[in-house]
Amino acid sequence: MADLPPKKGDPEWEEWAEDILDSTEFDTELGKQISKDALRIAEGELSKAEFHERYGDEVKAEFGVDERPTKPDPEPDNTMPRVPGDRNQTRRNVLKAMGGAAAAVGLAGCVSASADDGSESDGNPDSDTQIGMAIDTERCIACLQCSEACKEENNTDIGVHWPYVFRYEDEHAGDTREDFLTRHCQHCSEPSCTYVCPTQARYRRTEDGIVLTDYDTCVGCKYCQVACPYGVNYLGKDEPNEVVGSEFEGDRVGRDGRTVGGNPPKGVMGKCTYCVHRQDSDDPELQGTTACEQACPVDVIHFGDMNDRDSDPREHLREKEGSNQYRLLDEVGNEPNIVYIGKRPSKDAEPVQGPVSYEELNMRDGNYDYVGAQDEAPADGEEGDAA
Amino acid sequence: MSGVEIDPERVLKPLQNTSREYYILLGLFTLALLLFLEAWVHQITYGVGAVTGIGDWGISGGVPWGLYIGGFVWWIGVAHGGIAISAAVRVINLDKYRPIARIAEVLTVLALAMAALNIVLSMGRPDRIFNTIVQWPFTVHHSPLAWDIAVISLYLVLTLTYMTLSLRSEISAVRHRLPKWLAPLYALITLGYNPDEDEKIDQILWWLAVAILALVPLLSGGVVPWLFSLIAAQPGWYGAAAGAAMLTESITSALALVLIMTVVFRQAYGWQDMIEDDILRDLTIVLAFLALGTIWFTMHDVLTGYYIAPVNIGALTAGMLELNFFWIAIGGLVLSVVLLFGMIGWPKWFFNTPLLVGVSALLAITILNKKVMFVVEGLMYPTQPPLTNLYPTGVYSPTLVEWILFLGTIMLAGFGFLVITKVIPMIELEKEERELLKPTAETDGTEGE
Repeated sequence: MADLPPKKGDPEWEEWAEDILDSTEFDTELGKQISKDALRIAEGELSKAEFHERYGDEVKAEFGVDERPTKPDPEPDNTMPRVPGDRNQTRRNVLKAMGGAAAAVGLAGCVSASADDGSESDGNPDSDTQIGMAIDTERCIACLQCSEACKEENNTDIGVHWPYVFRYEDEHAGDTREDFLTRHCQHCSEPSCTYVCPTQARYRRTEDGIVLTDYDTCVGCKYCQVACPYGVNYLGKDEPNEVVGSEFEGDRVGRDGRTVGGNPPKGVMGKCTYCVHRQDSDDPELQGTTACEQACPVDVIHFGDMNDRDSDPREHLREKEGSNQYRLLDEVGNEPNIVYIGKRPSKDAEPVQGPVSYEELNMRDGNYDYVGAQDEAPADGEEGDAA
Repeated sequence: MSGVEIDPERVLKPLQNTSREYYILLGLFTLALLLFLEAWVHQITYGVGAVTGIGDWGISGGVPWGLYIGGFVWWIGVAHGGIAISAAVRVINLDKYRPIARIAEVLTVLALAMAALNIVLSMGRPDRIFNTIVQWPFTVHHSPLAWDIAVISLYLVLTLTYMTLSLRSEISAVRHRLPKWLAPLYALITLGYNPDEDEKIDQILWWLAVAILALVPLLSGGVVPWLFSLIAAQPGWYGAAAGAAMLTESITSALALVLIMTVVFRQAYGWQDMIEDDILRDLTIVLAFLALGTIWFTMHDVLTGYYIAPVNIGALTAGMLELNFFWIAIGGLVLSVVLLFGMIGWPKWFFNTPLLVGVSALLAITILNKKVMFVVEGLMYPTQPPLTNLYPTGVYSPTLVEWILFLGTIMLAGFGFLVITKVIPMIELEKEERELLKPTAETDGTEGE
């Protein structure tokens, strides 16, 4: 402890490092082997599969964790249906939205090139699958198709929008102009919602990093809602949307046997599930897709494994390397798994109504009409009287 | 040590005789409870989201927690303060205040139960609480709610043990004068009682009281505010003085309620000579300084939040200053402090029990207001830019159902007092006093109800 460690690369360094390893309860030789081979993975001399083959059992015995991927990587790049749906009404809206967007376009040229972190560097030995999204707000036209498709797919309650499209004006961004931010659940790697859950109903599925709610054990205490900085949680009110909604058709039970799919029951917390019923279905056409991604007419949403170099989102992020890439509220420390491409809204961003409104799609919008305080709007003096 | 003239006969009287007023009161409270049950069934049938003002954070512009959680924090504070008062009487040997110690203990037990009930109300379905208990061993190290359950249970065990132990010798001494139909309960409390244990029990009680006194600042001034500050996503729930502020508020509201209950018992059972004006006057002084302390902490909050805070805290404080709720709370505090110091300085003009009860009630309600505001206000304002401005500021106003259910917990606590006053003596009887109740030839159990 006393003196400074020798310089890396010095002959004494290895000795010094070994001493430290020896002082732990773990096997020194195994540790050295693992780290050497991890370096070989990084250099491309060794495949991850071989690595897991070689060390899986020993690592499990030594550290009690099994890092091996339990299944092969899902979804080789699916061909996404990138055409708007054939519903007349929606096509009209898409056109309208495009018109609105065109009016506000001064943006296409100005791309700020601060290539934040965005994508993790390659060759990372962390081989776990982590499902996430790249959302290209530079392409978004705020047609709300993603919101509507999600509602139809998951049969969510009135006023509940798992993906919500903010349309905002940002003076700070030079000329006054509109921009968009599509907000899904961020499916964080360090989700604060799971830590506060008193029943472990909110959990992060280890094999693919999707954050889910077990509808059977959720107690509706709303702690996750309070702890989430993104505001993506909605308590089930038992008012499925009569207008857009159909019954939820997917399998509610996920592959881990817990009830996680579709809209939440009354008094239970729900949020975007990354269409977990699709990921867990037997239909390879559905695996690796989400309703919002398929519905997007302009290819904003790219869904897939963020740890896989060749996944759709990673590929798209590489394609748009020149654009600004960022994670929402990165500084909070939840390690969100949605990477945005485009301008980051500043603290002066102000929400505005666009040509396509939620109301027009027969979806109520809490941002404008406060669904939380619905029905007979309470008079100002009411609390005072009752107290 | 001396000075307290307790007449054991009159302490036991409520256990043997019941007045007409008692039945009327019991009837009123029962009606209130029926209303409470009706509202609860309504909430369970239609769902928390449908019948309360509680909404989804974020785009719905609601707040996820409201009156129930505010009420929970309030009840917890009352419980902590109540037991602190009772334990202090024992530890520092404040014999003079012995007549109010048991009232504070009973208040604590009831307040803890009501705190737990508020959590259940907030969850919407009572059966769900079992999920949290089943998972408790795995979640207690990271989930604040699991910790809440731990804290409430710990306190309930401590206070019930404390109360049961303190009752053992007393009950066995006066058992022949207690209602017969409760015999099984008394048998349980005095199970295996032996007069030789008295001294040991006294020592145990003293240490138990010390433990409770040590835990109060740790839990009421530590764990509860810490639980809030753990949820870093919401502004306004942390701060260097949060623990101390919360402890002060808790003890203020607890003392206010102890004062109210003391006056009620004095009045109802004609105990004015046993619980002297002197006690009320001393408690008034303590209450005055506690209320002043609450104002002082509030000023700290406002000053730091308004002038040098980071953007979102600043916005939160600015928003708070615009709320009517805030100024109602400040008004309540200032008015109480003025009146209390008036009572201390010019007792001839200001001191009278109805006014003291009024001020105590005002303080208790004001602290409730502050607690609810504390919970709701942080949730009204989305935290971090840019979401801060993209989301709307939340709105919340409790619905009738919420009011009935929350006020129902107060009614339930009152109902509890009514029942308990018929089960145990509400003033602890010491050895000499019990001697006076020794069975004689005349009293061989013809008393009945």
